[in-house]
Amino acid sequence: MTVFSAPPAGAVFFAGTHNGRRGTHTLRMDRITDLKQTLTALKRRLPAEDILIFSFRSADGRAFACVYADALTDKDLLGEQVLSPLMRYRGAPAASAICECVTAPEVRRCGSLRQLADEVLAGNPVLLWEGMDEAASVGVKKIPVRAVAEPPTDVVTRGPREGFVEDFKTNTALVRRRLKTADLRIDTLTLGERSNTAIAVCYLRGIAPKTTVDAVKARLSAVEIDVLPDSSYLTHALSSRPHSLVKQVGTTEKPDIFCAKLAEGRVGILADGSPIALTVPYLMAEDFQSAEDYFVSAHRATLTRLLRLFALLTAIYLPAFYIAAQLFKLQLFPIKLLLTIAGSIRDIPLSPSLEMLLVLLVLEVLNEASIRMPKYVGMALSVVGALVLGETAVNAGFVSTPAIIIVAFSGIGLYAVPNLIEQTSVLRLAMLLTAGSVGTYGIVLLSAFVLLYLVTTENFGVPLAAPFAPLVRRDCKDALLKYGLPSLHMRPKSLLSRNKRRMK
Amino acid sequence: MKLSSRQLFFFLAAVAPVGKLVLMPSQLAALSKNDLLFPAALNLLLQAGAVFCALLFARRGQTLYACLRERCGTVFAKIAVCVFALFLWLAAFVPLLEQKLLVQNIFYDTLPSYIAFAPMFVFSAYLCAKPLEACGRTWDILAPMAAIGLLGILLLAVGKADYGALLPVGAAGAGGFARGALGVADRFFDGALVLAMAGRFEYRRGMAWKGLLCYLAGGAAVLFFLATFYGLFGEIAVFQVFGFTRISKYFSGVTVLGRIDFLFIFALAFAMVFYTVLPLQAGVTLAREALAPRNPLFAPALACAVNAAALIGVLAVNFMMTRVMQVFSGPLVWVFPVFSLAVPALSLLPRRRRHAP
Repeated sequence: MTVFSAPPAGAVFFAGTHNGRRGTHTLRMDRITDLKQTLTALKRRLPAEDILIFSFRSADGRAFACVYADALTDKDLLGEQVLSPLMRYRGAPAASAICECVTAPEVRRCGSLRQLADEVLAGNPVLLWEGMDEAASVGVKKIPVRAVAEPPTDVVTRGPREGFVEDFKTNTALVRRRLKTADLRIDTLTLGERSNTAIAVCYLRGIAPKTTVDAVKARLSAVEIDVLPDSSYLTHALSSRPHSLVKQVGTTEKPDIFCAKLAEGRVGILADGSPIALTVPYLMAEDFQSAEDYFVSAHRATLTRLLRLFALLTAIYLPAFYIAAQLFKLQLFPIKLLLTIAGSIRDIPLSPSLEMLLVLLVLEVLNEASIRMPKYVGMALSVVGALVLGETAVNAGFVSTPAIIIVAFSGIGLYAVPNLIEQTSVLRLAMLLTAGSVGTYGIVLLSAFVLLYLVTTENFGVPLAAPFAPLVRRDCKDALLKYGLPSLHMRPKSLLSRNKRRMK
Repeated sequence: MKLSSRQLFFFLAAVAPVGKLVLMPSQLAALSKNDLLFPAALNLLLQAGAVFCALLFARRGQTLYACLRERCGTVFAKIAVCVFALFLWLAAFVPLLEQKLLVQNIFYDTLPSYIAFAPMFVFSAYLCAKPLEACGRTWDILAPMAAIGLLGILLLAVGKADYGALLPVGAAGAGGFARGALGVADRFFDGALVLAMAGRFEYRRGMAWKGLLCYLAGGAAVLFFLATFYGLFGEIAVFQVFGFTRISKYFSGVTVLGRIDFLFIFALAFAMVFYTVLPLQAGVTLAREALAPRNPLFAPALACAVNAAALIGVLAVNFMMTRVMQVFSGPLVWVFPVFSLAVPALSLLPRRRRHAP
């Protein structure tokens, strides 16, 4: 038995012709016939050093070779379930007989070199033997995966704590575990010319609209990209307005939420290597909901949803209104508050807009740094950022206390709806700039712009602002308000689900 | 995307009334004194009739242009619809001026430059470039907002209003009534707006009656506002321009909490932005349908042109609001009854019967 990682010297390439112009060999024929030639051709296709070939003979002296990717293969399983049985094998060289001999549960026959190469790169060892009519690949890959854990972006105090991981199969297993029905369809496709990333389009047959499923597949198939590192790369393809700031694709890291969305008639997308699952069609109201809302009383859930909306609106509008009021309309402040503010800002050298922009900038920098920095310097940054910078800046008279309070509240408020943070932080800045230049009327106009844009945006035929615009009364039972479970016996009408009723 | 009947009802009941709260109350107080409710009620009733007629016309499922083309031929239809679009743009002029004055006086402590109002036209051009149907969804949001805004300021004001100031009825006489009715006729063009929307929503059985009731409900809210306004200010109501921003500031909580009524005022102002632009947008939609239905660039180009013209017009008459109102209630006084009352009524003329050869 020998293990080698480089093609043998002087190898002759089967079906290879010399391309005089480019000086490279191309394979015209892709068929598998002879062991030695196939092996050479395969190694030619996969010249990387981590692609290994293990040669051995069966009990009747037939030559076998196993080609595998070193880091991706479970060698224990390969030895136990594939190599040991084959070393004891005596019989015909037919692929069917060889496949039966192998005790691994996942064995596929491969008829072309390209297929063989794809299987090896996917982590499935391929078997070649003397006198073969077809080769075989065995599913014994062992990809290093992170354990299933609670996602840091969606922590709950009650409810399931599992989160998606980077492994595709684990993720599909987590979905399948919750939806044990034949109607759950997981259609896979491969995207990325070089990454060959597996993508799963998940939906419940009979519930998800066929038009949506077909449209999702069509849009995904149209993606032309060489490497697809994460599912977020697909959001542009799935959006009707790809350059828009507005979010048009739902995201989740939790399989329970993912399955609940599938059960409402949405289509889910899982990408290999990404713990973020995508769901379409997306409604803006989704991001005001939390998994926990369904595990607590409806009254509490309604209250928290309204609080989230209040926090978000305050976070976006408070800095802007504060600036607009200071610059253009002092009447907006109650008189006592006005006196307090006047006392605080008396000696500030910066204009109100510049002061607020500066404090917001500091907050954004602190926020960015605290996400990226190592955890052991977290405490130091908190001290430096919150205490030293904040307090010293106020004492030194660079910024006023109200500005710090407003920005702090705004910063916290945005995180009440964490999934919209990308959009809301930009919107807050836009509001602030508008308020500083045009005043309160600017805020009104920009809000009108945003409203008009939101209500006219649709994706997969579903309006983003539904169930509020257009108003769908039935769906309002689980939008900002949360009715009790018995009232939610119908699936959301806005999603155009094929099966309307989910509970009797 | 089509307008739904609910969206239209929302518009008639809650969005349309906000356009009547800016300068009209003080203007009516000047023209009709304590009888200000009667000219307003007359205009509202006439408009309700026009809205009813326009909704009955919409039962045919045809747009105004399609109907005219069928009856009178393409050339006449194009000319007539363009004239109607011109009327709508003209009708938008006074609300735009009102909006500009409102912005200058209410949204700023000191008088801002002319250009402070210019961003409004950027928004307006953006909205005008979209089809009229796109507005329907905004009404779903604006209607509750406007209703809460109006209800809020009325609740804050109602305790301080002395409705006895409206008595004795008829003190202004027939002359005052007529002056009031004609003087504010340029704020009532909702029948024309509904006519422009015909064919862009699906008519459902009984919709005309429901629409009529919605419009009357909105009209009742306007009348109640006018009564509260006059009850609060009495003889000095004539000086209280931008009435909706003033009636709630005497609420006792304001001294402690600050101008909390601004929350309601902003809600109304927000709805008002959309209502002010609506005639411009309706005009662009009609003109596009008549002139270049298949050209995707026509609507944006026309929207920009119309708004540029409106901006120039508004800037040109910057300090001449009184003169403009005199023109609208003087030489142009016939325009509004003709287009916003007679045209919706004429739209109900029976179809031409086709005789077999």
